[in-house]
Amino acid sequence: MITESYKPKLLWLQSITCNGNTHSFLNHPNLFSILSHFEIMHHPVLEGAYTMDDVIKGTVACDVLIVEGSFTETKFLKAGVEVSSLMKIYADKAKHIISAGTCATFGGIFKQKDPENISGFCFDLEEKTSRYVQYASKLISLPGCPVHPKWLSYVLLMIANNTKINIDNLHRPVELYGYTVHTGCTRNEYFEWKIDAKNFGLKEGCLFYEQGCQGPYTRGSCNKILWNDTSSKTRVGTPCFGCTEPNYPQESLFRTKTNMGIPAKMPLGIPRRAYLILTGVAKSFKIKRFSEKLLEYDK
Amino acid sequence: MKKLQIRQLIEKIEGEAELDFTFNDGLIEDVKINFGFYRGIEEILKGKDARDALVITPRVCGICNHAHLLAAVRAIENGYENAGLKVNLSSKANDIREFTLACELIQNHVKWFYMTILPQLEAYIYQKSDENYAIKATYFASNITKALAIFAGQWPHSSYAVPGGVTCDPTHLDVMQAKSLIDESITFFEQVMTGLSLESYLNIDSVSDLHKIQGDLGKVLYKMGSHGMAKMGQSHDKFIVFGDCILSKPGKSIVTTVSNVDIRYVEEALQSGTVAKAVKYKNKLYEVGPLSRGMVAKTPIIKSFHKRYKDSLLTRVFARMHEVALLLDYNKKLLDNLQLDEPSCILDSDVGFYEFEGVGVVEAARGSLIHKTTVKCGVITNYDIITPTQWNLSHGTKDEQGVAIEAMIGSQSMEEATFIFRTFDVCSVCTTQ
Amino acid sequence: MKIADKKALKRESIIQTALQLFSSNGFHKTTIPDIAAKLHISVGNVYNYFSSKNILAQEIIKYTSEALGEKIQVVNMSDASAEEKIHEIVMIYFTMSKEKPEMIEYFLRVYLSNRDVFTDGCDGMVCVSGFITEIMIFFDDAVSSGELRNQDFFSAFGLFMGYLGGMVFLKGEDVLPKEIEFYIDDISRNIYNALKAE
Repeated sequence: MITESYKPKLLWLQSITCNGNTHSFLNHPNLFSILSHFEIMHHPVLEGAYTMDDVIKGTVACDVLIVEGSFTETKFLKAGVEVSSLMKIYADKAKHIISAGTCATFGGIFKQKDPENISGFCFDLEEKTSRYVQYASKLISLPGCPVHPKWLSYVLLMIANNTKINIDNLHRPVELYGYTVHTGCTRNEYFEWKIDAKNFGLKEGCLFYEQGCQGPYTRGSCNKILWNDTSSKTRVGTPCFGCTEPNYPQESLFRTKTNMGIPAKMPLGIPRRAYLILTGVAKSFKIKRFSEKLLEYDK
Repeated sequence: MKKLQIRQLIEKIEGEAELDFTFNDGLIEDVKINFGFYRGIEEILKGKDARDALVITPRVCGICNHAHLLAAVRAIENGYENAGLKVNLSSKANDIREFTLACELIQNHVKWFYMTILPQLEAYIYQKSDENYAIKATYFASNITKALAIFAGQWPHSSYAVPGGVTCDPTHLDVMQAKSLIDESITFFEQVMTGLSLESYLNIDSVSDLHKIQGDLGKVLYKMGSHGMAKMGQSHDKFIVFGDCILSKPGKSIVTTVSNVDIRYVEEALQSGTVAKAVKYKNKLYEVGPLSRGMVAKTPIIKSFHKRYKDSLLTRVFARMHEVALLLDYNKKLLDNLQLDEPSCILDSDVGFYEFEGVGVVEAARGSLIHKTTVKCGVITNYDIITPTQWNLSHGTKDEQGVAIEAMIGSQSMEEATFIFRTFDVCSVCTTQ
Repeated sequence: MKIADKKALKRESIIQTALQLFSSNGFHKTTIPDIAAKLHISVGNVYNYFSSKNILAQEIIKYTSEALGEKIQVVNMSDASAEEKIHEIVMIYFTMSKEKPEMIEYFLRVYLSNRDVFTDGCDGMVCVSGFITEIMIFFDDAVSSGELRNQDFFSAFGLFMGYLGGMVFLKGEDVLPKEIEFYIDDISRNIYNALKAE
């Protein structure tokens, strides 16, 4: 709905990125009605009021800045200008800064090429940088690899509506990241009764114990707000790789790290003793329904 | 001889690139294509578990990540085979992989059509309309990626293809939902893009029937044809395909002569002034992409186009859009024939192979994509990625200019050259991995 | 004293009496009336706490597991090295076998030898979880700190507990020439050497 009231000027600025967040957002089923609340100054794919050349001059107006991609202070130029300086120019102008994706928020995958010099825009993994000190009051973190389109639209609509967004200590909206990826996984019963998937390709079995799934301790709402309005990694039998977390990507993503068979990382907030006792009890029982296929077809 | 050098930033090519144009007497004589930064995915992969490539390599690119996933898994499977383990994917797993890959190609081509070609064409010929083309592209893309996500969990950045098959275990319900989404995509193609039924469209095998195509595609073909684009953008007329899929078998086509290829003769090399590496086959340059696939496969309508319009911009654009129809038709058939009672994954998640070397090839949206993995003690010691855009944007040898560069040479303006450049569907992020 | 506390004490005294009688007279020969008589309470009173002998047997195994588990938890919470903790655990186990032989004996001679008594209600490791959990935590910490080699849980568990159980069994058979404390050092060293990281 386009009204006569002021439309915040939106600028989407890319740093070291794969464009995944851009294409993720383009999948939003209500993309244009969301964008109608804003005036697009520049976007990597969609038409905006200005060209990249204009943006690089540093003169474009900006109320809402979306940054995509990892940050580095030097040696990353567009048309001869350091992108870091552009990010700061627009971050100074903006009233809201959204770091879209794990790279922009914490450093993500591309940080691993040069861990000393590449980081997120305001956070370096979980540490606050000098830019955090400067921009914290305007910052919303939306980690994810890529960010879910509806997480971004939530923030944009809250901004357009002038509603305060409740955030946690890493500036992530609590309504999105207060859940774990485990919430809503269709394999929950197998997690509850410790029926572990020995291999891939079946609806049955929990992927946490052996196949590397990080769902129980990864913050996100992938199994609550589904991907592409349809599904999620764990629903199709792929383990969660913890892509919203500051330390993403970790090592051995398809394997659960165990110490003498005990998962090295516990589900979020669960004390180890509690988990082990519960697991011990669950594993003691043989539930017939779980040893069979979920759906039986006629032969 | 008035020589003039101008540097121009080109944006909205999945990132940016800088082109250095050399004008001589008002015509473009040479172009250097420069990328300034590479993200180092190949280095990031060193020391990681072999299967971590299934998560990391899709992050080379936000629009063709699925192709990278499949190239990565094929590289591992090829590695297992080289180490002595037979990998016989079930036809179900194979079909599901082909289906999701086709979905990605289709969304890529349609996005490019509506968000790059249409607006840039209209700007170039001073016929800018107020129509919101992007909404058509995003509507279509969000639909077809939904069909992809039914099997792969999400798009972008799924990792659902694992050595031995796929992780999903779909039901008839899943297949029916996917079918309905493909039907919706076909309806869009028929009613908005061509004004023809899919069947009628696919029956067109000669340029003499082109006038039958209405809709947005018809509009673009007409505008291009009437602005001399049938004679612009011609390059070396040499094409190469390494993947094996419904669109084409591996092979090369030198003009219209088709012959075999051996992937071992592919070579990458550093180039001065840019971080992008050049790629050659037996020391020669070749074009990759939908036109190459059409030429190697000798698709009748592509042959007809090429006969009349050579490897011009018009032929190149048409070839890409033609794949949308071919793949929609293919996807419909794949879903109709999916054997749900076959196993999804025929290998254990831990096969216990820690030393292997393998190559994976995929026909991605922009052409042949090659991944090569070397694994020792279970970890990657070397990983090579050769992307399609690297082929098309290579700078050239002393004998011949780069493919895209050759297409731009002779242009009368930067606008003309830039438009020709965009018809190659350039992907900046893939080139700078 | 509160009623709840009184009940808890009563419950514990039944368990301890039962343990002693099982140890001196044998599990099958001991009846509920025997236990009631020893405690000078009515049979009905015993049944108020434990509705059958099997239920009592299961509750006893939980009780002994928790007793051992509590002591091992103290070791787990300390700052000692894995090698020192192994020594502590061995000492706890052998000390208990000396001071409260009926407890360890119960585990070896009643729990392990009368599976039929325990199948319904003590499936798998449910009733010994108090003890098993602490051993799991010990292993997790020691592997995570790099002191012990990472391996399958049961390989390590079997080595540790099989060894200790075996020694106590031999003690029970009066085969060991020396007091059980004498063996603590060597046994701890053997276990550590077998499980330590290379």
